Amino acid sequence: MQSLYEIETVVKRSARAKGLSWGMAEEIAKAVRILEQSLLPGLESFKRLVDLGLTSFNPIQNPLNDEKLTKICPIHFGVFFLDNLHNKQFQKQFSFLEIYEPLLLLPFLKRSANKNLLNIKFTSKEINFNLSPGEIVSLSNQLFPHIATKITLDFSTSRSPQYSQSTWDELYELSLETFVEETEEKKLSGAGAGLTDND
Amino acid sequence: MKINIRKPEFVMRLDRLGSFHQSKLSFLRSFIREFKEWEFKCHEFQLDDQGYGYAVYVVRKDKKDYSLVCFSNHLEDSERSDRVIATKWDASFVLFDGIPNSDDIVRLQANVPLQEQGRVSEKELCLSRANKSVRIFQHVVDNLAQGLQPDTKLLYDVGYLYRTTAVYGSGKFGLADRIKVQDRNELKGPFRLEMMLVYLARQFTFDQVNHIAHQRSPSTAVKLSDDIARNLGIGNSTGLGMAPFIVNHPALLNQWILAKEKSLQAIRSIEVVNISEYEKFNEYLKTIQENILFWKTDSSYQINKNENLIKDLKKFQVYISNIQLSKYFWNTVYIWVEENTEAECCELVVSLMMEIYPLIVEPFSYEMSIDEEMYFEIDASRSIADICQLIEKQYQWLLDVNFDEKENIFNFWYYSKNKQEPRMSDRFSEEGAELELPLAIARDVHALYRELKTENPNEDLATYLLKTQQYRHILRRIFICEKLPYSEIQDNTISKKLIPVDMLRLKLSFFGATRFDPRSDRWVRITMYQGAPLMKEIGKSNDTWSYKKIA
Repeated sequence: MQSLYEIETVVKRSARAKGLSWGMAEEIAKAVRILEQSLLPGLESFKRLVDLGLTSFNPIQNPLNDEKLTKICPIHFGVFFLDNLHNKQFQKQFSFLEIYEPLLLLPFLKRSANKNLLNIKFTSKEINFNLSPGEIVSLSNQLFPHIATKITLDFSTSRSPQYSQSTWDELYELSLETFVEETEEKKLSGAGAGLTDND
Repeated sequence: MKINIRKPEFVMRLDRLGSFHQSKLSFLRSFIREFKEWEFKCHEFQLDDQGYGYAVYVVRKDKKDYSLVCFSNHLEDSERSDRVIATKWDASFVLFDGIPNSDDIVRLQANVPLQEQGRVSEKELCLSRANKSVRIFQHVVDNLAQGLQPDTKLLYDVGYLYRTTAVYGSGKFGLADRIKVQDRNELKGPFRLEMMLVYLARQFTFDQVNHIAHQRSPSTAVKLSDDIARNLGIGNSTGLGMAPFIVNHPALLNQWILAKEKSLQAIRSIEVVNISEYEKFNEYLKTIQENILFWKTDSSYQINKNENLIKDLKKFQVYISNIQLSKYFWNTVYIWVEENTEAECCELVVSLMMEIYPLIVEPFSYEMSIDEEMYFEIDASRSIADICQLIEKQYQWLLDVNFDEKENIFNFWYYSKNKQEPRMSDRFSEEGAELELPLAIARDVHALYRELKTENPNEDLATYLLKTQQYRHILRRIFICEKLPYSEIQDNTISKKLIPVDMLRLKLSFFGATRFDPRSDRWVRITMYQGAPLMKEIGKSNDTWSYKKIA
């Protein structure tokens, strides 16, 4: 299993390799790290987004008023709210047709809720969740029953991977695209080149 | 009298940062202070008569254990290299959380000697490797086997038996993330685990030479004398990999520098200095002048710095010997040193002053960590005019730099594909500049400023960010620097004039390194723990070992 440091680093580099600015790459890397730490499959979600092409999504409009907007990128969407929710004009209801990988939106909205002391309610056909500046995230209020039965509680100090090895391998390869090939010239000019260490 | 703290625009220039010396705030010293009441012992020692095999050292207090697992392997001379591109080493080390069982040892034996090519787990905390100083190692073993102590002149010219070539921590190669250990009281200072690893590895080097000598000639062999061993440290050979760290961790850098600056401010603010404090300072000053003679280097850059330091210290010695103790004595002394000596001497005197006042300085060592996550947010509600003012205030030094000139954008930083290590190259003659790392802070702040100047100053930053996110990473830094003014190096890190060794020196001085020996402008050898108490003596350490005479 990869460490959270490795996950954050590889996501940052992969996002950069796929055309995001360094600052945006830092944002999504942090988001995926938070999800994986919370045992949510952020890396798989990010990988599916990468496969679609991070720069192929519809740009976020300002002001956000296009109810028919489809193919929204959760990274740009999330950063948009992070940057703009201080502004009262955005503290209202928005409707859209479609957003990809809504899981990736969670950390951005949670940070926005904390930063601006807002309660955020996300409803869609597939999933609902409520976020607040409080510590508890509520996924679909209606799913909580009045009585729970046959309970099992597991406690563990170790994290388990929420992604497959192939997802990791592919993203890792992609992250290498931000690296520069070593030429002979570079090796000759590198630190310590040409010196003997048998002293 | 109110003494002001030194300003960031004075302290954060690279020629000054690159002149910092170890002090009471250095991490290897705060490690010893923190762990002196722990029990240190050799738990397992499974080396053959050539010294190959493994050993385990355990550090324990109450029910808490940390273990260093050391692996020693045969290495051909042709395979020995300190460069990061090496694939084999004389010894490799891993710091384990707890005490490893036999399954752990088998797993670690298969992975730790491979370093970056192997895989460790969240049970492990730090990873490292080291090469022998072949000449010294053989000399010591040969002499001990014959019942003789080694030639100390030869030994102290080098200063160590082994030198490490990398120490990895915090999640690299599968190691435990920092989050796993960050709440442990004993690990509150920066790089505590790395310092523990290096300290225990130093002990291993002594135990290994004693073992080989005994195996070679049981009837005549003697052990390395404690006095000689104590004056040996462990070397470190480090290249550019360390330099981006201090750019990539601005909040942390602020804490390090601020701790030093607050210490100095507090010392300069002492109204009455007594004679014993003055005498102690003079004693340390005398010792350091003698120890400097052991700082050997072939680097003309460092030779020049060392020669100037020796010259300045002589001048300072005359000054300090003739000055009367008066009110705010250290403030008077500091002002004289700043005005009359180079940065190298000035910063050494600052370290010496800190030595006299443990009660003032040591508490600051607990303020040198920071939760970097707290500084990640960008406040996009701020106006463009506000951001421009921040840049004008915090980055004044770069506003007049012409980044259209070749020499001001000469270098680019990148990750090499082969070893995934940071490197620096000439952007005009070498390929890869399009993959540049975001370390060209001065150039990018300058470009952002020019762009913001064309925007409506009354609009908020969010409006600008809707148009472009190109400089989002720079905006984050500007906000960090607003709250943490010592977070930014105030020099152009892509200039042709950049001396990367200065960046390494800054970080290494906070580690507690001595004897800076640059092998080029981008690679340096240093020594750690020279003079430090041996493992069996750590409980008696009073933290005065840094200024003991070496020979």
